[in-house]
Amino acid sequence: MSELFPRKQIMGFVFSLSLTAVALAVYFLHLSFAIGMFVLVVTAFAQALLQLVVFMHAGETKDKWIIYGKVYFMITVALVTILGTLLIFLWDM
Amino acid sequence: MKIDHSLPLEYSTKQNDQNIFGFWVFLAAEIMLFATLFTSYFTLEHRVGNGPSGSEIFEITPVLIETLVLLTSSFTIGLGIHAMRIGKQKAMLTFFAITLVLGLGFLGFEIDEFITYIHEGATLQTSAFTAILMMTLGTHGAHVTFGLFWGAGIVMQIKKRGLTPETTNKSFIFSLYWHFLDVVWIFIFSFIYLKGMM
Amino acid sequence: MDFLDRFAVPNPSIAIYASMVAIGLTVVAIFAGLTYFKKWGYLWREWLTTVDHKRIGIMYLISALIMLFRGGVDAIMMRAQLAVPDNKLMDAQHYNEVFSTHGVIMLLFMAMPFIFAFMNYLVPLQIGARDVAFPRLNALSFWLFFFGAMLLNISFVVGGSPDAGWTSYFPLAGNELSPSVGTNYYMFAIQISGLGSLMTGINMITTIIKMRAPSMTLMKMPMFTWSSLVTNLIIVTVFPVLTVALAMGSMDRLFGTHFFTTTNGGMDMLWANLFWVWGHPEVYILILPAFGLYSEIISTFAGRNLYGYKSMVASMVIISALSCLVWAHHFFTMGQGPTANSFFSITTMAISVPTGVKMFNWLFTLWKGKIRFTVPMLYSIGFIPLFVIGGMTGVMLAMSAADYQYHNTMFLVAHFHNVIIPGVVFAMLAGLTYYWPKMFGFMLNERIGKWAFWLLSIGFCLAFFPMYITGLDGQARRMYTYSEATGYGALNMVSFVGAGIMAISFAIIVYNVYYSVRYSPRNISADPWDARSLEWATHTPVPEYNFAITPNVASSQAFWDTKKKGHELFSGELEKIHMPNNSGVPFIMGAIFFVWGFSFIFSLWIPAIISTIAILVCLVLRSFEVDHGRYISVKEIEETEIKLRGVN
Repeated sequence: MSELFPRKQIMGFVFSLSLTAVALAVYFLHLSFAIGMFVLVVTAFAQALLQLVVFMHAGETKDKWIIYGKVYFMITVALVTILGTLLIFLWDM
Repeated sequence: MKIDHSLPLEYSTKQNDQNIFGFWVFLAAEIMLFATLFTSYFTLEHRVGNGPSGSEIFEITPVLIETLVLLTSSFTIGLGIHAMRIGKQKAMLTFFAITLVLGLGFLGFEIDEFITYIHEGATLQTSAFTAILMMTLGTHGAHVTFGLFWGAGIVMQIKKRGLTPETTNKSFIFSLYWHFLDVVWIFIFSFIYLKGMM
Repeated sequence: MDFLDRFAVPNPSIAIYASMVAIGLTVVAIFAGLTYFKKWGYLWREWLTTVDHKRIGIMYLISALIMLFRGGVDAIMMRAQLAVPDNKLMDAQHYNEVFSTHGVIMLLFMAMPFIFAFMNYLVPLQIGARDVAFPRLNALSFWLFFFGAMLLNISFVVGGSPDAGWTSYFPLAGNELSPSVGTNYYMFAIQISGLGSLMTGINMITTIIKMRAPSMTLMKMPMFTWSSLVTNLIIVTVFPVLTVALAMGSMDRLFGTHFFTTTNGGMDMLWANLFWVWGHPEVYILILPAFGLYSEIISTFAGRNLYGYKSMVASMVIISALSCLVWAHHFFTMGQGPTANSFFSITTMAISVPTGVKMFNWLFTLWKGKIRFTVPMLYSIGFIPLFVIGGMTGVMLAMSAADYQYHNTMFLVAHFHNVIIPGVVFAMLAGLTYYWPKMFGFMLNERIGKWAFWLLSIGFCLAFFPMYITGLDGQARRMYTYSEATGYGALNMVSFVGAGIMAISFAIIVYNVYYSVRYSPRNISADPWDARSLEWATHTPVPEYNFAITPNVASSQAFWDTKKKGHELFSGELEKIHMPNNSGVPFIMGAIFFVWGFSFIFSLWIPAIISTIAILVCLVLRSFEVDHGRYISVKEIEETEIKLRGVN
C-alpha cells in the first residue's frame, strides 16, 4: 500500500496546501494592498512551480531545457502582455 | 512500432515521445490563452457599470471548497500516474476515478456559484466586469468539463485494453492537462477572488 | 420569408449579382467536370483524405493563389475608385466592404497559407524527416484554414461582407454601427482558420525539435527551417490571444455582453489592444519565413555559404522576442500617456537593429559571389533595397510624437505595403519559382518570369510611392473619395496605373504557368539550380517517404558538402518505413466547422448545437480509434528508388 503513496508527492501536496493557507492571510488579516499583492504573487508562482516540477515531471526527459525554456518564455510574454496593457490603460492614461 | 523498454511505457515509442512534447507546446499556448483573459480581467475589473463589484458578490466559503477539491484532485491524479508507472492498473484506475469524481464536485460548486451570481443580478450581460468574470471562470470550467469526458474515455480504454504504450501515453498527457488546470485555478483563486476580497 | 431575409445581401450592386452568377457557374462547372472525367474517387483518395505533408503543402499553395486573385481584384477596385476625385464607381458602403475583405484575405487567407505551403512542403525535407510529427492534425489544420476561408468568401453573396476594416475596431464593429452579419463572418471565419494555424504551430515545433535526422543539431539546420521554428514559436504565443479577443467580440455581437461596448463599463479600446497583441507579431509570422526563403535563394545563386549563420539565427530569435513587446505602436494616438508611448516607441525602433543585421548578412553573402541572375534571385535582389525603404518609413512611424501626423493616412498604407509586398509577396513568388521544379517536375520559363518580375517591381513603385506623398499631404486611408480641391488626383492616378501594371504582371505569371506546363522540358535533374540544402538531395518527384535512408549531415549545407567535398549523405541498409494512414476525418471535421461557423453567424441555434456535438463526436471517435499506420516494405522502396533514378 505504501508504495502507492510516494514521499515526494505527499510532501508536494502538503506544501501546496500550506501555500493556499498562506495566501488566505490576505483575506483574514488586514494587510495593505502592496503587501497583499506581494503575498499573492509569491504564493501563486510558488504553487505553479511546485505543480510543474513535482507533479508534471517537467524535468524528467532530455527535452528538459526546451520544455522549461518554452514555459518560461510564455510566462514572460504573458507578464509583458498583462503589465503592458495595464501600463496603457491604467497607469498611464 | 518500435518499443524502447528502458523508458516508462508512456515514452516508449517515438510517436509517444512526440505526443508528450507536442502537448507541452499546447500547454504553453494555453498559458497565453489564460493570460489574455487575465489581461482583460484586470483592465475591466473596476468597470462595473450599474452592476455589482467583485467584493459585493464574492464569498470565501464556496471558493475555498472549490480550491481544496481541485488541489486534492491534482494530488490524486499524480498518485494515479505513479501507480501506472509501477504497473498497478487497478490502483491507477481507482485514483483516476477519485480524480474525476472530485472534478465533478468542483464543477457542481462552480455551477452553484454561477446560479447565485445570477440571482444577485450579476449576469453575463450586466457589465463589463461580470462578463469578463464569467468568461474567465467559464473558460476554466469548460476545460474541466472537457477534461471529465476525456478522462472518462481514457478510463474506459484502459479497462478495455490494459496498460499499453498508447493508453499510458494518453493517461500521462491527461494528467499534464489536469495539473495545468489546477495551476490556472490557483491564479484565479489568488488574483480574482482573494485580490477582489482583499 | 422572415427567416430567409437574413441571408439576403444588405447592399446589393450589379458587381455582387455578377459574382453570384460567376460563383454559381464555377461550382457547376467544377462538379460537372469532376463527374464527366470520373475524378471524384481520385480527388477523395489522393487529395481530400491525404495526410502527406507535400500534398497538403500543394493544397495550401493552390488556395493561396486563388485568394491572391480575390484580394487582387479588391485592390484594383479600390485603386480604380480613387483614381479620380469624386468618383462614383463605388459608394461608401461598398468601398468599406472591399477594403475590409482585401485586408483580411491578403493577410490571413493569402499570405498565411502561402507560408504554410512552404513550411509544409520544405521543413520535413530539409530536416530529413518522413512527415510532420502529427500528420492527421496537419490535415485538420489545412481543412480548418480552407473552410474558414470559404466562410469568409461566401459573405459577399450571403448576408453581407465585413465592412469595419480588417482590424474591425469596436465600437464600429459592434451591433449598433455594423448591423449586418458581415462582422460575424469576420469573427468566425478568422476564429476557425486561426485554430488551424495554432495547430500547425504546435505540429511544426514538435516536428523540428523531435524529428530531425539524428546527425542534424540545431545549428546545422537550413535557414528556412530555423525561420520556421521561430515563426511557429510566435504563432503558438500569439494566436491564443486572437482566439480570446474574437470570442469576446463574438459574444458582444451575439449574446449582448459588454466587453467592447461603450455602455455598462465596456471598453472599446481593449479590442484594439488585444487585436494588436496578436496583430503585430502576426506580421513577423509572415516576414520571417520570407527571410528564410531569401536566405536559401541568395546563398544558392551567389554560390556561397550564407554569411553569418549564427547572427542570422540570433537576430531572428531577438526579433521574435521583441515582436511581442511593441504592439501599442499601432495606436499611439489612442490617449495613453507619454511614458507608455515612449516605451513602445523605443522597443519598436530596437527591432530595426536585428533586421539590419540580416540585411548586412545577405549583402555579405552576395559580396564576391558568382551571382546568377535567375528569376528567384532577381526577386531576392529587388527585395533588399525596396524592403529597406519600407523599413526606414517604419522607423519614422515608430516615433510616437511624429506618428500623430502620419497616423491613419496613406503614408501608413504605403509603409506596410512597402514591407509586405517586397518582403512577403516577392519571397513567395521567388520561392514558388525556386521550388516549382521540386514540386511539379519541370521549371517555369525564365524569360517570361523576368518580364513578370520587372513589371511587378515597376508597378509596385508606381502604385505605392505616391501614397507616401499624398499621405504626408493628409490624404486619409479608408476614405472612399476625395474632392478635386485637395489636389490628390494626379498622384492617385499614378497609383492606379501602377496597380494596373502589377495586375498585368500577375497575369503574366499565370500565363507562365500555362506556357511552362505545355512547353517546359520534363527531363530535368533533381537539382536543377545547383542548390545546397537537403531538400534537393532526394528525387524529383519526391517519393512518398521522402528519403529511403535517413540522411547523415555534417553542416547546414549538407547537399553541397556531398557534391563538392564528397560527404556521404546516405549510408546503411534500407529498412521498412512506417507511414501514417490516410483519413477522411479532417475533411469532414472542417466541413462541420463550416456549418458550425455559419450557424453562429446567422444565430441558427439548433444547427449550432448539432454541429458542436458532431465536432465532439469526431474527437471521441478519434480517441477510441486504433490506427498503427502502415509499413512500406524494403522491396517496394527498392522498386521506387530504381524507377526514380531512371528518370534522372
